[in-house]
Amino acid sequence: MPSIGLRYCGGCNPQIDRSKVIRKLEEGLKERGMELDFTTNRQSAVDLSLLINGCMHACLEEEYLMEGNSPQFISVKGEMVSSQYVKEEYIPEFLIKKFIDVLNFPPH
Amino acid sequence: MMNGKEYIESLRGLNLEVYFFGQRIKSIVDEPMFQPHIHTAAMTYNLAHDPEHQEIMTATSHLTGERINRFTHIHQSIDDLVKKVRMMRLLGQKTGTCFQRCVGLDGLNAVYVTTYDIDQKHGTNYHERFKNYLLEVQKNDWMPSGAMTDARGDRSLRPSKQKYPDTYLHIKEKLEDGIIVSGMKAHITGAINSHEIITMPTRTMGEEDRDFALSFAIPADAKGVTYIFSRQTNDTRRLDGVLDGGNPKYGIVGGEAIIIFKDVFVPWERVFMAGEYEFTNELVETFAGYHRSNYGGCKVGLADVVIGGSNWIAEAHGIERASHIVDKLTEMIAMAETCWSCTLACSYEGYKTPSGAYHIHPLLANVTKLNITRMVYEWMRLAQDVAGGKIITLPSEKDLENPETMEILAECFAGKEGFPPRDIIKMLRLIENMSVGAGLPEAMHGAGSPAAQKIMIARRSGINKKMELAKIIAGIRKDKYFEDIIGKNETAHWDEVKKKIKGKKVQIY
Repeated sequence: MPSIGLRYCGGCNPQIDRSKVIRKLEEGLKERGMELDFTTNRQSAVDLSLLINGCMHACLEEEYLMEGNSPQFISVKGEMVSSQYVKEEYIPEFLIKKFIDVLNFPPH
Repeated sequence: MMNGKEYIESLRGLNLEVYFFGQRIKSIVDEPMFQPHIHTAAMTYNLAHDPEHQEIMTATSHLTGERINRFTHIHQSIDDLVKKVRMMRLLGQKTGTCFQRCVGLDGLNAVYVTTYDIDQKHGTNYHERFKNYLLEVQKNDWMPSGAMTDARGDRSLRPSKQKYPDTYLHIKEKLEDGIIVSGMKAHITGAINSHEIITMPTRTMGEEDRDFALSFAIPADAKGVTYIFSRQTNDTRRLDGVLDGGNPKYGIVGGEAIIIFKDVFVPWERVFMAGEYEFTNELVETFAGYHRSNYGGCKVGLADVVIGGSNWIAEAHGIERASHIVDKLTEMIAMAETCWSCTLACSYEGYKTPSGAYHIHPLLANVTKLNITRMVYEWMRLAQDVAGGKIITLPSEKDLENPETMEILAECFAGKEGFPPRDIIKMLRLIENMSVGAGLPEAMHGAGSPAAQKIMIARRSGINKKMELAKIIAGIRKDKYFEDIIGKNETAHWDEVKKKIKGKKVQIY
């Protein structure tokens, strides 16, 4: 089962409800029968990192890139995912599509 | 990169049709009414060659890797955003007025960001066209004016419903090789001493206003373009001598003009939006965000000058130690640094757009500008207070130089030992220029009026999330952290507390 390292920014003034995005993402994955192992343990080796930044400033992405960790990551930055604007309610669906692309999941 | 002199000489190569005071102005560069504005814009070129200021006045082009004037740069990092506002403060300090070139800089960045997004949706090639244009701007070190505000006519009517169609700049005809445009742009800063014009829509357009959803760049002297230069407070004092103008070298505000476009041809390679009305809001808001952030830089630079001038006058009058003077100057400094904090914050909190260019934090940029619309008036009020009534009753330079009156006036304006009367008058005239004139409404309306900032602040405030926070603290919504802390359900906890109080089991009973 592919593993996803889940990291949140500090959440000082988030534009999106970060935990709701993850909750809806997990529900969406379940509906599609896609199994992913999410972990917040920073020491675990993972297939992909999912960075959840509350706003577009994306402190976490900055920090992550400076750490020189695994280059494979998807970054949610408020209502932007990687470099595309995405409304909050569509972020979980958008992420599922990204997972399918990046992790070579068969599309459902 | 051009220096200040080369910039002024480069303007001689343009043939603009400019009207002022009921006549066509033959030479922009040689006209005394325009020269202060030209000197100010020249400062943006000159400081780029000074090793003391190059670090913030220049940048590395992301297109060519060459050193360019920062006024032609697309922000590539948070550091670029911060350096941009540092540059604004520096230039405000060096000129004491508006140096005009930031409008074009913000236009370049806003169009860069928006054309990328238009292309992503429509598969157009505006962004590539714009990058080619940007290369020209950087290579030639051009100063483009940023022409956004239309005349707007009856504000209750959409652009397409106006009695006079030219009230808003619009496409009249689409040709194979370009477009024909007509319309007008109002109070455009630095227009007559710019090499180019970059136009942007003034408001969000709907489908019926498709022809008004328009952005392009043309040479400032393109066929069919005319300018009518606007008046400013005490402007003709420039023709009376040197002293009475207050800031004879750099003038007052930015030198605004109305630009009239009459059947102007724009080749497709210089068209960056032509009908994509759904992106007008993005272009307007992106430009406004950049531009509003600047005001926490440039106006604070002006504050540095007027605070210094006020302190100098207090010393000249021998009142610098009076507690009310110290208090007023401290208030001025605190307000100026508050605005500076705002603009630094909106730069440090900026973000990378899909185009790769960095944008400021829009909410904080609007807060910056809203503070400016209030605090500039307040610190200028205090400058007038410290300077005293003389700033509105000073005699003219001609009387100061008239043998009949010069001696008595020198006595009249004598101050503390070591402060020559003429210097005292010079400083009072500068404070008059900065605190009484057109600079005040410019701080109010430049980059948009306060209502425009409030609309954007309200839209981006996240008020629903704030309500959720309040509901949790008030106990209307579940507080998971509180339950973690107490180790139980919140309702059960309060039931227990109530029981303890009723049974007087609380220690203080």
